[in-house]
Amino acid sequence: MDSTNRRSSAAESAGVSSDEELMAAFSRGSQNDFDQLFLRYKQPLFGFFRRRVADAAQAEELTQESFLAVIRASSRYQPSALFRTYLYAIGLKILRAHRRKAAFRACFTGAPDAYREPAALGDLETEYALRQAVGKLDRLEQEILLLREFEQLSYAEIGELLHLPMNTVRSRLFRARLALHNLIVAPVPTSSAEQARIEERA
Amino acid sequence: MNTTAEHPVAPEEIMAFVDGELSAADAQAVAAHLDGCSACAGLASQFRGLSQSLTRWGVAPVSQKLENAVNDFAAKASAKSKSRKQSAPFRFGTWNWKLWAFGGTGVVAGALLLLGIEVTNSYRSDRVANQRPMAMMMSQNSGKGTAGYAPPESLKGKMYNSLSAPSRMATRSPSDSSEPISAGFGVAGTVGNFSDTTAASMIARTASLSITVKDLSTARASLEAMLARHHGYSAQLTVESAANAPRSLTASLRIPASDLSHAISDLKTLGRVRKESQSGEDVSQQHADLAERLKTARATEERFRGILQQRTGNISDVLEVEESIARVRGEIESMEAEQTTLEHRVDFATIDLQLSEEYKEEIASTSAAFSLRFHNAFVAGYRNAAGTVAGIFLFLVEYGPSILIWLAIIFFLAFLISRRYKKARSRI
Repeated sequence: MDSTNRRSSAAESAGVSSDEELMAAFSRGSQNDFDQLFLRYKQPLFGFFRRRVADAAQAEELTQESFLAVIRASSRYQPSALFRTYLYAIGLKILRAHRRKAAFRACFTGAPDAYREPAALGDLETEYALRQAVGKLDRLEQEILLLREFEQLSYAEIGELLHLPMNTVRSRLFRARLALHNLIVAPVPTSSAEQARIEERA
Repeated sequence: MNTTAEHPVAPEEIMAFVDGELSAADAQAVAAHLDGCSACAGLASQFRGLSQSLTRWGVAPVSQKLENAVNDFAAKASAKSKSRKQSAPFRFGTWNWKLWAFGGTGVVAGALLLLGIEVTNSYRSDRVANQRPMAMMMSQNSGKGTAGYAPPESLKGKMYNSLSAPSRMATRSPSDSSEPISAGFGVAGTVGNFSDTTAASMIARTASLSITVKDLSTARASLEAMLARHHGYSAQLTVESAANAPRSLTASLRIPASDLSHAISDLKTLGRVRKESQSGEDVSQQHADLAERLKTARATEERFRGILQQRTGNISDVLEVEESIARVRGEIESMEAEQTTLEHRVDFATIDLQLSEEYKEEIASTSAAFSLRFHNAFVAGYRNAAGTVAGIFLFLVEYGPSILIWLAIIFFLAFLISRRYKKARSRI
C-alpha cells in the first residue's frame, strides 16, 4: 500500500493522471487515455505472462487477450480498486484459464514442451536457472513470490488477488524465499557455512 | 522462526521490514535490532540479495505486432462507444417509459383481441342456435300451413319424383274394382290432417338436441309440461347423477309430427343448445311396398276362402287349405303391425334429447366421504410405494451388473485422464 500511495502521490505532483483516472476517462470513450495506460502496463503485463508461461508467443497472446478484456469491460469499470490490482486480477484469470485449457489439451495430445526458451535472449543461463528454480516451488508460493518480486505488489494486494489473509501471504512468501534462496544461492546449505558467510558480510 | 530473548524480532518481520511492509513503529524496532544483531542483519541482506538476483530474470520488450493489435482494438471500441452514446435510441433509464409504453400497448392489444374473438364466437353460436327454429317456422308458415318437412329447394324435385310412384298407385287403386280392399291408402288417411300432396310423402322425422341447462329439475318439469302441451310422450328417459359430475338426462321423446317444430323451439328455451340435428327419412316407398304386399296377401286369403266355400273335397284337402289361410293370415297380421309401426313413426317424430346440467362442485358430498377417501388414498399410496421399491429393486437386479461394468470403465478412463491432467497441470 505504501509503495502505491507513494507512486500515485508522485504521479499527481508531476501533473500526470493516475491509472484510475485514465481508466475512468477511457471508459467514457477517450482513446488517448487508454494509450497512456497501455504504454504504462504493456511491458509489466507481458513480463507477468512471460515469467509464468514458457512459450513467448503464448505469453504475448495472453497479454493481448488481457488488454482486450480490459477494453471490452471498460464500460463496466468501477474505480473501487487500484487499476493495477484490477489488471493483474484479469491477468490471473486469463492465466488460470490458459493453464486449464493447456492441461486439458495435454491429456490427449501429450505433455507440452514445457521449457522452450527463445534463442534471441541474452543471459539465457540465468533465466533458465531462475525459471527452473521457481518452478520447483509450490504453485501458490510461486505465485506469491512472483507477484511480490516482479509485479511489486504489496502483501495486501497479493492477498486480495489470491483471496488469502495477509498473514498467510507473509508466511508463504517467507517460506518461498527461503526455499528459493536454498535453490539458487546455496544448493546444499549448512547452518555453519551460512553463519560464516553472514558474519563475513557483516 | 519464533522470537527469542536474543532475537526479539521474528525472521518474517525482518522480511517484511525489507519489503517495507511494517508500520513505522515496528520498522524502527526492527531497524534497531538489526543494528546490533549480525545474524538478523545477514538474513535481511540475504533477502535483498535474493531480490537482486531475481532482477536478472529479464523479459524481452513487447513486439510491435501486439501493440498494433491492441491499439486497433481500442480505437474501434472507443469509436463504437462514442457512436453508441450519440444515437442510443432505446436505453434503460430515461427512455424507460418508452419500453413500458410499447409493452403495455402490446399487452392491452392482445387482451382486446382475445376478448373480441371470444365475444364474436359466443354471439355467433347463440345466433345460429336461435336462427334455425325461426327459419323452420317461417318455411312452415309459407308451406300452406301444413306440417310438412319443408326441404330445401334443391331436394324438393328429387323428393316429389320418388313420391310419384305411390301417388300413381293411389290414383289407380279406386278404379281397380276387382280388388275388394282399397289397400294401403286408407291408412294414409289416418295420418290425419296431412293435405293431399303431403299425404303421399311419408316422412319419419327425427331430431336430436343437446342442451345445457342451469337446473335439471326445473328443466325436467318444463319438459313434462311441454310433452303434455304437444300431446307427446317420452318413450324412454334416463336421469344420471354421478358424484363429482354434472347431472344429465337422456330421453327419447315422441311428439306428433305436426308439433315437432314447436316442440323443438320449446325445448330450446330450456337452456343453451350445444348440438342440434334434424333428419327426415322418406318411408313412402317402404310404405307403398308394404301396402302392395298386404293387398296381394289379402287377395290370396280371399281366394283361399273362396276355394273353401265353393269347392268340396276330401278332408285332407280342406285341412290343407285352412292351413294356408292361417299362414296367409299370420303374414297379413305381421305386415299390418309393421305398417302401423311405420305410420306411427311418421305420425310421431322422435326427438333424442340430452340435457346436462351446468357443473357445480359440491362440498358436502366430498367431505362426507373424506375418511373413506383418505383410506383409499392411503392404500393407493402404499401400493405405489411398494411398486416403486419393487421396481427399483428389479431394475437394479436387471441392469445393476451392466451398470457396474460401465461405471468401472468410466471411472478407469476418468482416472487415466485426471492423472494425465494433473501431470500436465504441474508442468504448465
